[in-house]
This record gives sequence, structure tokens and C-alpha cells, in this order.
Amino acid sequence: MMLRRLPLTARVPLIVTLFMVAVSVFTSERVLTRLADTQERHVQALADAYVDGLALALVDSIIREDIWQVFDVLDRSRDKSGDIRPTETIVAGPDDFVIASSKPLDIPSQMKVPARYIASLRENGRIVIAEDEQKAYLHRVVRYENLRIGSIYASLDIAPLLAERRSVLWTLVLTNALLTLALAGAAWFIMGRMMRPITLLTGHLERSHAGAVASIPDEIVAKVPRDHRQAFAAYNRLAAAVADREALSARLAEEERLASLGRLASGMAHEINNPLGGLFNAIDTLKRHGADRNTRNVTLDLVERGLKGIRDVVRVALVTYRAERDQRHLSRSDIDDLKCLVAPEAGRLGVLLQWRIELTNTVSIPATVVRQILLNLALNACQATPRGHCVTISVTETLVSIVIRVEDRGPGMPASAIAMLIDGGDRPAPIGQGTGLGLWMTNRLVTELGGNITVSGGSEGGTAISVTLPQRREKEFAHVA
Amino acid sequence: MILRKVINRRRWMKGAGSLAASFGVIGARARAKDAPLRFALTPVLLTSDLVMLEALKAYLAHAMGRPVHLVSRRTYQEITALLVTRQVDAAWICGYPFVVYRKELALVAVPVWRGQPLYQSYLIGRADQKADTLADLAGTVHAFSDPDSNSGYLVTCAALAEMGQSPGRFFRHFFYTYGHRNVVRAVATGLATGGSVDGYVYDVLREAEPALSADTRVILKSELLGFPPIACPAPEAQSPTIIHLREALIAMPSDRRGREVLAMLRLDGFSNESPELFDGIADKMNLVRGVPL
Repeated sequence: MMLRRLPLTARVPLIVTLFMVAVSVFTSERVLTRLADTQERHVQALADAYVDGLALALVDSIIREDIWQVFDVLDRSRDKSGDIRPTETIVAGPDDFVIASSKPLDIPSQMKVPARYIASLRENGRIVIAEDEQKAYLHRVVRYENLRIGSIYASLDIAPLLAERRSVLWTLVLTNALLTLALAGAAWFIMGRMMRPITLLTGHLERSHAGAVASIPDEIVAKVPRDHRQAFAAYNRLAAAVADREALSARLAEEERLASLGRLASGMAHEINNPLGGLFNAIDTLKRHGADRNTRNVTLDLVERGLKGIRDVVRVALVTYRAERDQRHLSRSDIDDLKCLVAPEAGRLGVLLQWRIELTNTVSIPATVVRQILLNLALNACQATPRGHCVTISVTETLVSIVIRVEDRGPGMPASAIAMLIDGGDRPAPIGQGTGLGLWMTNRLVTELGGNITVSGGSEGGTAISVTLPQRREKEFAHVA
Repeated sequence: MILRKVINRRRWMKGAGSLAASFGVIGARARAKDAPLRFALTPVLLTSDLVMLEALKAYLAHAMGRPVHLVSRRTYQEITALLVTRQVDAAWICGYPFVVYRKELALVAVPVWRGQPLYQSYLIGRADQKADTLADLAGTVHAFSDPDSNSGYLVTCAALAEMGQSPGRFFRHFFYTYGHRNVVRAVATGLATGGSVDGYVYDVLREAEPALSADTRVILKSELLGFPPIACPAPEAQSPTIIHLREALIAMPSDRRGREVLAMLRLDGFSNESPELFDGIADKMNLVRGVPL
């Protein structure tokens, strides 16, 4: 479980280490067991040779219970050199009373053989290894003409053998540890080398999620191992395709803006055209009845109102489009401007607009973006609503956000349009049929401000779209803008 | 030369008549001219000292102008038997067998040690032992040198006899090592609690092999007794071979090789002594045998 969470560059060396440890433990155990067996056979052979020699030399002395002769033989045989030395040898009669031992002070003659020999040595002639004492014990019954005439008990110092075993163990542990370390290191290094192109590709892919899809330069691709080149080439093709799409989307967005500008322009033209007929009539009237003071005043008044209307329309248009990258905060006047902008289009489509504005002060949200969002939604609603029906637009303010609600009386939005509006911003711009691009742009703008969009049925049929935009603190706001 | 031939013939006749036929054959060979002098040694000496034996052999051969054959045996008894049965011409034996076979044996010469032909028997124990008298060793394991040794057996037995005791009853267990050096080894290693040993051998060992006797100490020293002598079969006492041998032994201090041998033996020389020198040992023997003095 834990292993799956580790990166591959750590997991493979860890698996190698675990494998090597398992192999080491297994081989070490085998080697040491074999060594112990060999040593035991070695000790047995040496002990046999030693005791055999003693038994031969001692038969007569044992029969005679000749303390001195027995001791003399034991004393002389003690000087035997070799890696395994007898530390204690006891020669006992048939009743297990000591005739003589090699250490008379510890094991005196005429005493019972010490219990440690009797207890551990039940089997005749077979050594018993006592590792904690670093000794091997042996008991051999001495027979003469098939009669049990006595016993030889011997303890052998096997410390050198145990030391050899320890040294072998340490050698194994050290060698295996070094080998494991080297292999784990090699695995780590190789995995690092193998994973490097994948890491590079992953890095690029992750950055692409954040927005920038940059293709990987050819000189880097050239250094990548052959196995990964295909993936890199595929990524670069993808990056190129995404870049193309982004460019197309930008162009389409621009076109869409131009299109809405066109619609606005036609609305404005209509708005200007309306008073123009009156103005020409007024000029006609002035030409013909300009002499009449009362008529002249009424007519000039009419002209003034007409020109004022034209001036207002022109000013609003100027404010909207000149302030493309304005960093102003949203204020009530922005919404009022929008009223003026949308009104001509609504008038053209025969849709009634019902505004409910609850903004009191300026709100720390970039005005131009909000205007764009509201404009898009309002124009959309006007288009969806049948002639003679009403579109309700409300802008309310809470402590931390503003909520824009646009409700139409249309037949309801298609599911694809709703999807585009709510989370279409992550996808590429809808290219092909012109519909949906406004919704897509709205989504991106809302996302840009950190807000969210909900779509529901209107209170009297149709569709209600709510956009919640959080108010920003100054610092963040400046960054976003 | 003529005299020697006559004597030889007489001896031969006597030997052939008095001894068993089997011995006669050996005797015949021994009488041959240039036949080696057969000289036996008991383990009174430091048996390990083969160099000394070679030197002694070389000296005797040189001094007597004939080859010397040294005969060694494990026990006193074997040497004594060789001598009594005249299988050897002379032997270095202990004072005890000499008094036992007083009638069959005659003295050739007696070694002189520290200016006199006398020595002592030592009762030794381990260095860390508390015993000060023989009585303190009651119930212990005891090492004797040889049942035919004066210093290594008889002296202690006599002391026990004075106490109304015998080794078998007094000691828990006793054994023979057949060599004074072995008694020291047995006591030093702890195989025996106490031991009876030749004072001369012990003192020489102290000097020659300090490590061996380091763990031992002398508990008791006996009175001075006759030093283990060189003896020959009594009938041969006046034979030229024995006379020649005696001369060679007594002349040792005046010869370079002889002095080398004496130095190795730590002896001053050899002297001509009367058998009464060993009366003290005879007394002890009689005491042990239960014969009233």
C-alpha cells in the first residue's frame, strides 16, 4: 500500500533493496548453516582423533586405575597444538568416579564426574556444542574385550571456530550490505535517467493545465531516449494544435465582440436616427415658421432634446469602448450606462426591460468586466424573450459579493448552452456554429473574477441566470485587473 | 693381561655354574673382550635429561677405554632385578633396595652432594597449602615416587609407622609416579595434595626447572641418609671392571668431561664408602616391617 504512494524512482531501489536483503538473509543462513555443519564435523573428527588416541594409550592405566599414568598421558597430550584444543579431559572408571583429569585442582581424582558432563552427554561418542560456553563436549566409553572399563570426557575449546563463524557472518553482512547499496544506488540512478523525460513531459503537461501550452524545443527532444521521442512528438503536435485553437478562439472572441458592437452600433444608429427625423422636421419648421418666437422656442427646445439624446448615446458608447482596459471599480453609473446601451436593442426586439439596481456605492470589482458580462447576458435574454414580454435584470449587493440576476421569458436554454455557460470556459472556444461563444466568454470572464454561475427556471417560466462575483480586496483586485 | 684372563675364566666358570643357563649365554658375551660395560640407572636421576646421560656414557667410555651401554627402566624394582640377576655390571640404585639386597650387592661408589655422601627426603605440598607436618596431610591424596625408593616412599612410611599408621589408612588415596620429578609435577598440578620426594632431585629441579616446582613447597625434611649409591652384584665387587669403574667415578672431578657430567648432575664427585652409611635406611626398613630395633 505504502509502496504505491512512492515515486517510481524510490520504489524500484526499495524493491531492489528488499530483494537483496531477502537474498542476503537466505544465502547467509545457508552459508552459516553449512559452515556450522562443516565445523561440527571438523570438531567431531578432531575430538575423535584425540579421544581415540587417549583411549588407546589409557586402556591399561584405566584397568589399573593408575592415577599417575592417566594424568601423565593427559598432561602430555594437552600440549598438542592446533586450532581446537582440549580444555578439560576427564578419565573415569566404570562407576564414573574420576581416575584423573587434566585439571586436578578443579576436578580431583576419586570424585564423581561433574554433572555438566554427565547431563549434556547422553550419546556415546557424539560431540555436543555449547556455543554460550564456547565449548564442545564429548563422552566416549572405553571398552576392553567388550567390557566397559571406563569413560573419557573431554571439553574442547571451539572459540576459534566461533570466531571464524562470526568473521564469516560479518564478511557476509558487509559484502551484502555493500552490494545492496550499490545495486539500490544503480537502480535509483537508472530509474532517475529513465524517468527524466517523463518528468519533463509531465511538467509541460501540468503547465499546460495552468494555461500555457508551450511546445518542447527540438534540441531537448533530440536528447531524449528513442523510446520517449514518439510521446514528445505527440505532445508537441498537441501543443501546436492547442496554440492554433487558442489563436482561433481569440479571433472568434474578437469577432463576437465586433458582432455585438455591430448590434450596438445598429441600435445606436436607430437611437440617433429617431431624433434625426424630428430634428429635420424641426429645422423645416424653423425655416418656415422661424419668425414666430413661440414656435421657434418650442422647436429649438425640441432640437435641443433631440441632440441631448444623441449626445447621451454617443457618450455611453465612448465610455464603454474607450475604457476597455480601465481599472475602475463598478459603480451605479456603469449599470445606468448599460441601461442606455441595451435599451435600443430591446426596443428593436420589442422586449420590455425591467431593471432593479440595488448598488449604493462603488464595489471593488473591475467595472469593464462586469459591464461585459451583464451586456452579454442582457442581450442574450432579449434575444430569447418573445416580443412584448419582459426581461428582468437585478443587481444586488451583499457584504462580500454582488449578484447579477437576469430572467427571461424564453423557451428555456438548451442543455448544451447551460453546460457552456456553467463550465465551458475550460474547454476550447466553440468554433463552427456561432452560437454559444457569448456564453463561453461570459463563463471565462466570471471565472476570471473568481465568481460562479447558476442557471434555474424563472419564476414565471423562462430562464433565470445568477452570477455571483466576489468583491476583491484592493491588492488582489489590482492583480486581477 | 694374564691375570685378567685367569680371573675371567674363573668368573666365567663360576657364572656358568651358579646362574641359570639362559643367563650364561649373556654372561659369555659380556665376558668377551671389548664387550660394553652395562650400566643401569634408576629414575632417581632426572630422566628427562638425555644430554646428561649421553655425557655420562661418553665419560665412562672414555675413562674406562671400552664401550658403555646405559640401561634405563621405569621402576626401581626392574633395575634392582637386573642388578641382582647380574644382567648389568653396575647400577645407580636407591639406598632402600641396597639395604634390602644387602647380601647380594656391594657398593661401587657413593655420590657426594654438598660435600657429603648424604641427602634428605622431602615431604612437599602445594605452595598455598597450610600443612606443616605429616599429620596435616591425613585424608589427602598422596604421591609416592616408587615403592622401592627410600626418599620417595620408605621415609614417609617410616614416619607413618612411628605414628602407628600406614599409607593405606592414613591417606585417602595414594599412588606411585615412578619418578621424583613426577611427584613434583603431581603436587604442582594438584593431582596430589602432598608428595614424598628425593631432596637432592627437588633442590636440583628448583634450580634447573624453577617453573615446575614453583607451586610447591617443602613441608618437612628428613634426617640425612645415605645418598643413592652405585652398586654392583656382591660377587663382582673386586672384579677389574668394578674396580676400574670405581676409579673412573672417583676420578671424575679431575677430568674435564667428568666435571661437565658432575656439573649437570650438580654433584661434587663420588667417594668410596662403607655399607654402614645406609644403616639409617635399614632402620627405617625394619621399622616399617614391624621389626623391633
